[in-house]
Amino acid sequence: MNEPRKSLAIEAPYEAGRISRFIADQVIHRFRRRGAVVGLSGGVDSALVAALCVKALGPERVLGLIMPEKESSQASEPLAMEQAAVLGILTERVDLTPVLTALGAYEQKCRVLQGLCPEYDPDTDRTKITLPPRLLEQDRVNYYSLTVEKPDGSRHSSRVGPDDLREIAAAQNLKQRNRMIQLYHRAEKLHYVVAGTTNRSEFVQGFFVKHGDGAVDIEPIAHLYKTQVFELARHVGVIEAIVQRQPSPDTWSGGVTDEEFYFRIPYDQLDLLLSAWGEGVPAEEAARELGLSAAQAARAFREFEARRRATWHLRVAPPSLLEPWPQSVMEAT
Amino acid sequence: MRDIVTQFICEAFPAGAQGRRIEGDTSLLESGLIDSTGVLELVEFLESRFGISVDDADLVPENLDSIDRICRFLARKGAGAAPADGPARASGRLSG
Repeated sequence: MNEPRKSLAIEAPYEAGRISRFIADQVIHRFRRRGAVVGLSGGVDSALVAALCVKALGPERVLGLIMPEKESSQASEPLAMEQAAVLGILTERVDLTPVLTALGAYEQKCRVLQGLCPEYDPDTDRTKITLPPRLLEQDRVNYYSLTVEKPDGSRHSSRVGPDDLREIAAAQNLKQRNRMIQLYHRAEKLHYVVAGTTNRSEFVQGFFVKHGDGAVDIEPIAHLYKTQVFELARHVGVIEAIVQRQPSPDTWSGGVTDEEFYFRIPYDQLDLLLSAWGEGVPAEEAARELGLSAAQAARAFREFEARRRATWHLRVAPPSLLEPWPQSVMEAT
Repeated sequence: MRDIVTQFICEAFPAGAQGRRIEGDTSLLESGLIDSTGVLELVEFLESRFGISVDDADLVPENLDSIDRICRFLARKGAGAAPADGPARASGRLSG
């Protein structure tokens, strides 16, 4: 029987070296490109990937693309700029607000939100959607609640129905998909690769946007759980203000954390549970080792399995009737 | 009531139900018959079809994760008998 891990600690210097060699090998020998472009969000994942790209390729071969939009946190852009300055890389800034406006992303979302909360004013109010909190403490099905916060601090909350949720998601995902367009535009112009920033916790649970932040050339940290990302980020010198930030998708003006928006479990517990689940450890065994009740671990495992099932298509090439070609034809040597 | 719920699940989530017998105690979520968005669709259906109001506090697997549980939940909510013009079907199996 597999044993659950009580710690996901990594040997940071070794891991930094391993990943930087991977990046250099992929960029130079496999893709045969000159460098890498990273979408710098002001969060820890992209800061870490940028730092590892610098270690692999040198600062002159890394471009940080900063892509705020009007619902981004005001703190994100200055942090991204500060991190880029520490790394000594060039940056470019693209405000996505005009293109998202032209695509109707804000207008579509506003229409749905006003249907749920007629008093909602997009010019003054802050909004977010959240799942029921504390999955380990309470057995609730996943449903999103919209919170509208007025300038006077008053809050209105309402449950989001399935059609509204799909329309909100479709509008919101335009953000990540337009970031992908911008990243590939720079990458092709410079003969660079697009370096992805999805970590293992996000990857296995499908917490990324198909053809959005999931559309990249290489995924340097897809094997690291979020807690390991924090550890490695400290080792490679990611600025402390970024390491200390609450992880967030940064797509809602009300500021929502990854835990509130998607996982429902704090990252330290989430990663240990995900690791045990991924390694086939029985829920009862994981519960014993992690100091949880069997019911709590079983609930977490059920959630992981449901998300795995719902998001399988994010992790594979599009299904087709194309017969498998020899590897020598499909891949570079 | 049971037949109406079963028919809705079979028709609204055909990929999950196809070729399977949905027993009264089959877990709708764990079996993959419905996903989390599907639960919201189920809730909307229960509200509109049976004229009940499902509160946030009601959104627990205990109330919604099997046909037996849904029927008990509807009974507790006072949903009573289905309207006379409602659809009804005896079997929970979809033929294909």
